[in-house]
Amino acid sequence: MPKEYNPEFVGTVTKYVFVESPDITPQHLSIRAYEISQGVMIKETCFGLQITGMPEDVEKVIAALREMDPYHILVKDRGFPPGDKRRCRANLGGARPGYFGHEFEMGLLRHISKGLKAMENGVKPNEKSVNAITYHDKPLLDTERLEEIAVSKSRESANKEADTGAANNSITK
Amino acid sequence: MNDADQKVRVAQLSCGPEHSGVQKEIDEAAAAVNAEMFFPDVTLKDVKKAYKEFGLEARSADLKLAIARAKALVDGSVEADAVFIATCFRCSEAAIVRNELRRYIHNNSTLPVVSYSFTERTTSGTLLTRMEALTTIAKRRALLAREKQVGITLGIDSGSATTKAVIMKDNEIVGTGWTPTTEVLKSADIVVNDALTMAGLKMSDIQAIGTTGYGRYLIGEKMKADIIQEELTVNSKGAVYLADRQHGEATVIDIGGMDNKAISVQDGIPGTFTMGGICAGASGRFLEMTSKRLGVDITELGPLAMKGLSKEVPMNSYCIVFGTQSLVNALAEGHSKENVAAAACRSVAEQVFEQQLQEVDIKEPVIMVGGTSLIAGLVNEMGRLLQTEVVVPPYSQYIGSVGSALLASGFIDEKKKGE
Amino acid sequence: MSKVFIYPSTSLILSDMVARFGHEPLGAAIKIRERIQTPGFDSPPLQMTPEDPKKGLKYAAVEVPAGVRGRMAIFGPLIEEAEAAVIVNDSDLAFGCMGCARTDELVKFMIRQRKDIPILEIVYPSNEDEGLAFVDSIKNFLDGLSAKEVPK
Repeated sequence: MPKEYNPEFVGTVTKYVFVESPDITPQHLSIRAYEISQGVMIKETCFGLQITGMPEDVEKVIAALREMDPYHILVKDRGFPPGDKRRCRANLGGARPGYFGHEFEMGLLRHISKGLKAMENGVKPNEKSVNAITYHDKPLLDTERLEEIAVSKSRESANKEADTGAANNSITK
Repeated sequence: MNDADQKVRVAQLSCGPEHSGVQKEIDEAAAAVNAEMFFPDVTLKDVKKAYKEFGLEARSADLKLAIARAKALVDGSVEADAVFIATCFRCSEAAIVRNELRRYIHNNSTLPVVSYSFTERTTSGTLLTRMEALTTIAKRRALLAREKQVGITLGIDSGSATTKAVIMKDNEIVGTGWTPTTEVLKSADIVVNDALTMAGLKMSDIQAIGTTGYGRYLIGEKMKADIIQEELTVNSKGAVYLADRQHGEATVIDIGGMDNKAISVQDGIPGTFTMGGICAGASGRFLEMTSKRLGVDITELGPLAMKGLSKEVPMNSYCIVFGTQSLVNALAEGHSKENVAAAACRSVAEQVFEQQLQEVDIKEPVIMVGGTSLIAGLVNEMGRLLQTEVVVPPYSQYIGSVGSALLASGFIDEKKKGE
Repeated sequence: MSKVFIYPSTSLILSDMVARFGHEPLGAAIKIRERIQTPGFDSPPLQMTPEDPKKGLKYAAVEVPAGVRGRMAIFGPLIEEAEAAVIVNDSDLAFGCMGCARTDELVKFMIRQRKDIPILEIVYPSNEDEGLAFVDSIKNFLDGLSAKEVPK
């Protein structure tokens, strides 16, 4: 018979709060979070915090935390409550798959933080950058242009061969 | 905690079991044989590096992760006792990665590997025999190293179609028994009595007992067997023992009554193996049906097939129902019994070849065992497909019993010490 | 406030951007949370059961692997619920729920089939300037959604 499952923390939400800041550490975040916690559960992690509680309470805490460093604090939903055995590294032997995705995006956060700050300061993105983040197929070289290049390259190498040949001949002489 | 209590750590390389709802089944199968699944710990940097170095351009990130985890196992940065590779059935991308990782680990480490493609219907029961074999290979290498039978031992193989018993004495087979399986315990009693009579021995003469096959637990518990062991390791051991190929590489093929086993063996110990089969159309059951339809005894099917030409009759037993249909059609069209028998053998060999032998590396010698290995037509067709001469050792139909009796003799000394 | 489907749906950056600029991100965590908080039969780790691949039959035929159909049982309803979507197209290193390339192809296709909702398709930034362009384009897109909302 399958085992019955009785969930815990029903009706709550859990959010990850990531901090990638030169000024604020996960410890700073957690101290502030405890000050304003209003009954929500707070768990400190290597990258920031996990906050669990009723949705509106969690939102209030997060809004206050964001104020500490709006450009370097990022927030995301989590399906599991903190420390859940099913997702815990200690039980799985290795990280759960989602961890690697976070690891990947953490590497990009500095660009995002700079972007957020610049935007706040009214800086407009340049055309090259807008083009770079726009999703489109890599433009292919026009076939006629490709042919031109090929023809000029083959001429070049033919000329080079002729020169080397002449040089060789001169040696054998 | 002694060695027997220590859990066997099985590294899982997979894509899809969590989202198919079958991760629990994998964990339960492992727990049932005192093993635990774990995910080798790697970093994102490892994933990028390993994936690039391995050179297989999988697009699915979870498969890239599986590649990195496999490399960590081979490099030795993560320790494991065995490896379980699982991906979704019908995913071609995953099938390529699964096969290449299995081969990579097998060729570059001593870790036993089993690969499996699951559906949402996969249960822990289906996985149990595989897990048991994995843990046995990982933890009982000393037991599997036995090359000679000593004393007087009894081996019982309770298969889905037939029950077999063998009594061995001083490295010789001295008694055998064989009967179709009806009630598991009753069938076992019959074959044990037959084997004892043939050997001229009494039950009290037996020094150790081993059981294998589907009914192994039931019989093993009743008879207080010294070793109750799944058929993958037992048959490998029995096959190389009987074929006198205990050292080096070999491939063991056992086309059973309900499922088939293909095992790549190194020094008598399974390295990689597959078990199962999509339909009974790829099993001995289809040949049994064929012989009934042809009105011949199953023992006559092989010689009959040897006289026929398999390519004269189109037959595809991917599904046993369609296979039977083409059998009926062939006879209605006036094909000879010989040709039909040969075609049935070819069809079963083809199904095993296509569905299972692709999952193991075929290394010579290829040893065919089990009841179906006595059907010469089937052995012939398998040899033709594999382009090799297939070895059928003596007593090949008793393979499980011989393997069990051989392994059981390892317990005689232990028992003496205990007395 | 609009419900915005994010792709990769496990993305921290997208989830944050959507919430930061005043909308509701629809990501995989929402559906996993639903399962984790619903009583039933024990099926760790995700509380996904063999029923999920069956539910996934609504989005992919039976010959499609169970892992794809199971994942579609998560994504399908989110895409149906979405009022807008942001897709980051070069997200090759998103694992777990997004770890299957075949599912990812189907998810993107299903979003693009939603001709009735606005969709932003971009790629990840690789420097500061692109970081600004990335954030700016998401903000503009999301502000556009707010502007279109009809006051009730």
